[in-house]
Amino acid sequence: MPDHDDGVQLQVQNVYMAFGGVGALKGIHLRVRQGEIFSIIGPNGAGKTVMLNCISGLYKPQRGKILFEGKDITSLRPYQRARLGFSRTFQKIELFRGMTVLDNIRLGRHLHLHANLWSGGLYFGRAEREEIANREFIEREIIDLLEITHIRNQVVGMLPYGLQKRVELARALALQPRLLILDEPMAGLTLEEVEDMARFILDVNEDPKWRVTCILVEHDMGVVMDISHQVAVLNFGEKIADGKPDEIQRDERVHHAYLGEKEDLYVTRR
Amino acid sequence: MATMRLPSGTYHQTYQQDQAWWQTRFVWLRMIGLLFILLVFIPLWMPVLFPDIGLYVVSVANLIGYTILSAMGVQLLIGYAGQLTLGHSAFIAVGGYTSAICMLMFGIPYPITIILAALTAGLWSMLFGLPSVRVKGYYLIMTTMAAQFITVDFIITQYVAQIGGRGQAFSIPPGTITFGPIEIDNDIKVYYLMIALVIACMVFVGNLLRTRVGRAWLAIRDNDIAAEVLGVNVVRYKLAAYFVGGALGGIAGSFWITSIYAVSPEHFTWSWSLWVVGVILIGGVGSLYGTVFGAMFMTLVPEILRFAVAPLQPVFPQLMTNFQFLKESVFGLSIVLFLLYEPKGLAYRWWQIKNYLHLWPFSY
Ligand SMILES: Nc1ncnc2c1ncn2[C@@H]1O[C@H](COP(=O)(O)OP(=O)(O)OP(=O)(O)O)[C@@H](O)[C@H]1O
Ligand SMILES: [Mg+2]
Repeated sequence: MPDHDDGVQLQVQNVYMAFGGVGALKGIHLRVRQGEIFSIIGPNGAGKTVMLNCISGLYKPQRGKILFEGKDITSLRPYQRARLGFSRTFQKIELFRGMTVLDNIRLGRHLHLHANLWSGGLYFGRAEREEIANREFIEREIIDLLEITHIRNQVVGMLPYGLQKRVELARALALQPRLLILDEPMAGLTLEEVEDMARFILDVNEDPKWRVTCILVEHDMGVVMDISHQVAVLNFGEKIADGKPDEIQRDERVHHAYLGEKEDLYVTRR
Repeated sequence: MATMRLPSGTYHQTYQQDQAWWQTRFVWLRMIGLLFILLVFIPLWMPVLFPDIGLYVVSVANLIGYTILSAMGVQLLIGYAGQLTLGHSAFIAVGGYTSAICMLMFGIPYPITIILAALTAGLWSMLFGLPSVRVKGYYLIMTTMAAQFITVDFIITQYVAQIGGRGQAFSIPPGTITFGPIEIDNDIKVYYLMIALVIACMVFVGNLLRTRVGRAWLAIRDNDIAAEVLGVNVVRYKLAAYFVGGALGGIAGSFWITSIYAVSPEHFTWSWSLWVVGVILIGGVGSLYGTVFGAMFMTLVPEILRFAVAPLQPVFPQLMTNFQFLKESVFGLSIVLFLLYEPKGLAYRWWQIKNYLHLWPFSY
């Protein structure tokens, strides 16, 4: 696998996905290198979320392949991809609203725990030690990192939107992922919260302990251009550009796609 | 899940303390008090202090225990894993028959047959859980109901009940149901067996719920897409829920035969399947205590009703003869009322009262 050698971790090859004849993705190619922040941008309805759903396995593309570290994963179910190290957040927050922050994060640790029907039901001994070690890990590595100590025992559904977004990131990180997929993590946040979120993403991307590859879909162009190593632009299900942030900012086709919402490319959040 | 409110001044030094069930000395004392009532007062003192009703109370307690055991699997499936079951009597029946057959035909000691009953009923339940992988909603209602009719009305009535040419009912000869040297031959011994089984099942399920298995069930119930993305093998955990739910039913069935020393298809009716769903609706869906409260409510109300109706009998003789009808009407009515006015069940009301007392006298 030559691609594997130059550090490509995830490859999307000619992915095609249509809903009832309407093409949402029309032959997309992407190459995400190990350790980079790879952003996908594009106007509303461009197919960004559909792309992420194909990558995380919620949708199965009608044509094309997805390779992870050289291995064809196109037909793997989402939970199998999670085992490979995939983790994600959602555009429309998908937390367990009735559970506490801690329990949400504990669910993110599912794959790192081993209790089964028998040892879990007996609890004392193996399962208990595991739960306590797990709690220590969560407190030390996740809750501290994301600065959510004060809300750890609160029910998620009651939290303000910005904190919910943060808890969703916490839950995704609890998997200790190798590939983190973020669908609009900044949408609807205040300026200060956006800065925090960008900092967290940079932290887990750069910290040698984490070194997580990130695929980021985001409308906030300021943030995207600031933190991405690579940017791909989708429009009506097609990739119209692909390159370093400064190349994208200069690209004529990109400006054209954003025509009428020209400022969008540089400043705003919705 | 509600977070526990600790009295001020209580702090935890370790995560182990923070994750323990009984976190304050007060709770410990209360649990010891409860155990005293359950293990000493009701079975030993009641019959002596109140000879008229003591044994009757024990037998009602046994019925409550059977209801709890029957409803626990339903609670796990509906309340925690979000999977329907409308034919749970089927698994109770499988448990009852497994126990009886193992004892009568193979001479296996009763305690071991409880385990075998749990395993058999669990596997049988898993079989009927398979459709839940594919279908949702109304179709699942049909398939879980099918468990009832296929198991009880067809397989057990037509084939199992005929084993050895016995006809409908298996009767279990005295001396068969023993725990080591002790024969379970009166209501008080049945009572102790009931308490042991109920506590064992509650602790087991409660423990499961605080490990990754239980959390995976709750996750599937609340948001199966998020669960799957987090690495939960949804199909496997649904089937595991059906297994454990069915196994709990099997234990209930195994217990049932001790109290009546016989087993017959008529004991495992579809109305009992619905009755135990009613138990968790009234007690509180998704609450282990709710199962207990619901079982108490659903057992005690008909008993109280029976006393209330008795004096009226000379005037309305049909009340007593149609008591079953009356009981089921009250059952239907209470479910409707609960769904309208107390949708979170008795467990939630209990929780509110506890909180109120806890904050008293500053409860505004
Ligand atoms: N499950 C679905 N069924 C039918 N059509 C869908 C489905 N999911 C997405 N689409 C369609 O695919 C197209 C791309 O949608 P997608 O959600 O990927 O857009 P997006 O780029 O994420 O936009 P936004 O910035 O608004 O989130 C849209 O036209 C949408 O209507
Ligand atoms: Mg989207």
